[in-house]
Amino acid sequence: MPQEAGPLPPKDHTPVARSAVKNKLMHLSNETMNKAFVKKVEALSGSSVRRCFQCGKCSAGCPMAAFMEHPPNRVVRLLQLGQGQRVLAGRSIWYCASCETCSTRCPNKVDLASIMDALRKLSWDADGPSKESYVQLANRLFIENIRTYGRQYELRLGAAFNMKSGQFLKDLMLGPKLLSKGKLKMFHSKNKNIAQIEGIFKRIEEMRKKGEAL
Amino acid sequence: MTPKKKFLNYSYYPGCSLHASGREYDISTRALFKVLNMGLKEVPDWFCCGATPAHNVDELLSLSLCAKNLSLAEEVEGDLAVACAACFSRLKVTQHHLKEDQTKLKQVETAIDGPASLDKPVKHILDILARDFGLGRLEEHTKKPLMGLKVACYYGCLLTRPPEVPDLDDAEDPSIMEDILRAVGAQPVKWSHRMECCGANFTLSRPGVVLKLSNAILESARLAGADCIMVACPLCHGNLDIRQQGIKDKQNAQESTLFGNIFGSEVQQPGGAGEARDVPIFYITQLAALAMGVPTDKLGFESVIIDPKPLLREKNLL
Repeated sequence: MPQEAGPLPPKDHTPVARSAVKNKLMHLSNETMNKAFVKKVEALSGSSVRRCFQCGKCSAGCPMAAFMEHPPNRVVRLLQLGQGQRVLAGRSIWYCASCETCSTRCPNKVDLASIMDALRKLSWDADGPSKESYVQLANRLFIENIRTYGRQYELRLGAAFNMKSGQFLKDLMLGPKLLSKGKLKMFHSKNKNIAQIEGIFKRIEEMRKKGEAL
Repeated sequence: MTPKKKFLNYSYYPGCSLHASGREYDISTRALFKVLNMGLKEVPDWFCCGATPAHNVDELLSLSLCAKNLSLAEEVEGDLAVACAACFSRLKVTQHHLKEDQTKLKQVETAIDGPASLDKPVKHILDILARDFGLGRLEEHTKKPLMGLKVACYYGCLLTRPPEVPDLDDAEDPSIMEDILRAVGAQPVKWSHRMECCGANFTLSRPGVVLKLSNAILESARLAGADCIMVACPLCHGNLDIRQQGIKDKQNAQESTLFGNIFGSEVQQPGGAGEARDVPIFYITQLAALAMGVPTDKLGFESVIIDPKPLLREKNLL
């Protein structure tokens, strides 16, 4: 897991870069299908993608489908066809709200919410080609906060997000309002057992280095 | 649904939000437990459960954080009461996963450097009110029935999903909130968006998403004639309450945006179709405690953005 959230990489809006992966014609062969990637997704999520028969119930109920270029059912279809890179190149996985409506309604018990988690982890670990950097930045800061403070420190979360994403004016008027209502705390006391949290992070990293955990 | 014991005692995991942006949920939960004579003792030095961001990118971290919290909770007697829907969901999912998956259990035990304790019952406040305390007793304890208050009960995502884990109510058509509300004299309305997502943690990274999804929820509640919305999750509350003014501003500004001016929107409605009315957002514990006769200054109403007092005054509940 990346340690420190640095400034965001410059945005790549060139039409070539986007369409290169996303809209390229699909030729299916042993060379173009990355089956190892799909196996990894299945191992991480504990759910098979092959059980899906494309009824589309997941996408019908998905509150975020309107924001995705690949709606949930197509994500599964692309995985079935070994096209994991196409999925990772888009924003779909980062626009999933983890509401689990899809997993709840799937008639074939494809746990799409867990598959999305697995895809995000693989993209995260590989510092993947996804363009959705805001959600990734927010996640990174959230986890950093746990490591530093043991609990969330919402004021720092918001301030750091605005600084690092370059949106200095985002929700500027909300800050003072929330402070005056007592909903944001100016200062945050660290958890007394903070060393134990650092231990958890370290031991997970060690396990991953030794190859004992995914 | 009669309770087995006379005095109910719980250990309590409030979660990060309840100590900050959702402080009125914490205040009203404590007030409600006090008035119902139930014990509530906070787990010492609990950690963040990791919520959605942790399991989004690192499931092992999420499971380890929750397992650590569960073993911390062992130090306090009584079932673990959880108020936040996200914490509740993560703690329950962790118990469920680790009981089923021995490899993950081993990895988690290495990570937290100790045995994982998975047997303490984790209960949401709703569960405690409706089943442990009991709807009948809730009705008996009601001193000030919330007569005439039309409430839209908003469940959101994490209270009931995935169906095999939380064991709170039906995953598609729950009724536990409505049951509790009826017991305290309020009138739940039928509406369409009680299980739709509010945009959750996109409030930090992509507020536009929250504005769109939460607007649909507020609109649906208004259409159904609800006076207010009741939630049991600090994130839903934040999105619907804190962002409500932003949602209205966006609705009003939609026709006059720069984009609209350049490309010419067909319908020009200066000022829109009139300002939509404010919908106060309550926590379940605030409404329940109000009905039990807890004075309003002990329910954290001063921390809420959309002031609920005009509505309560109108219904003679203040």
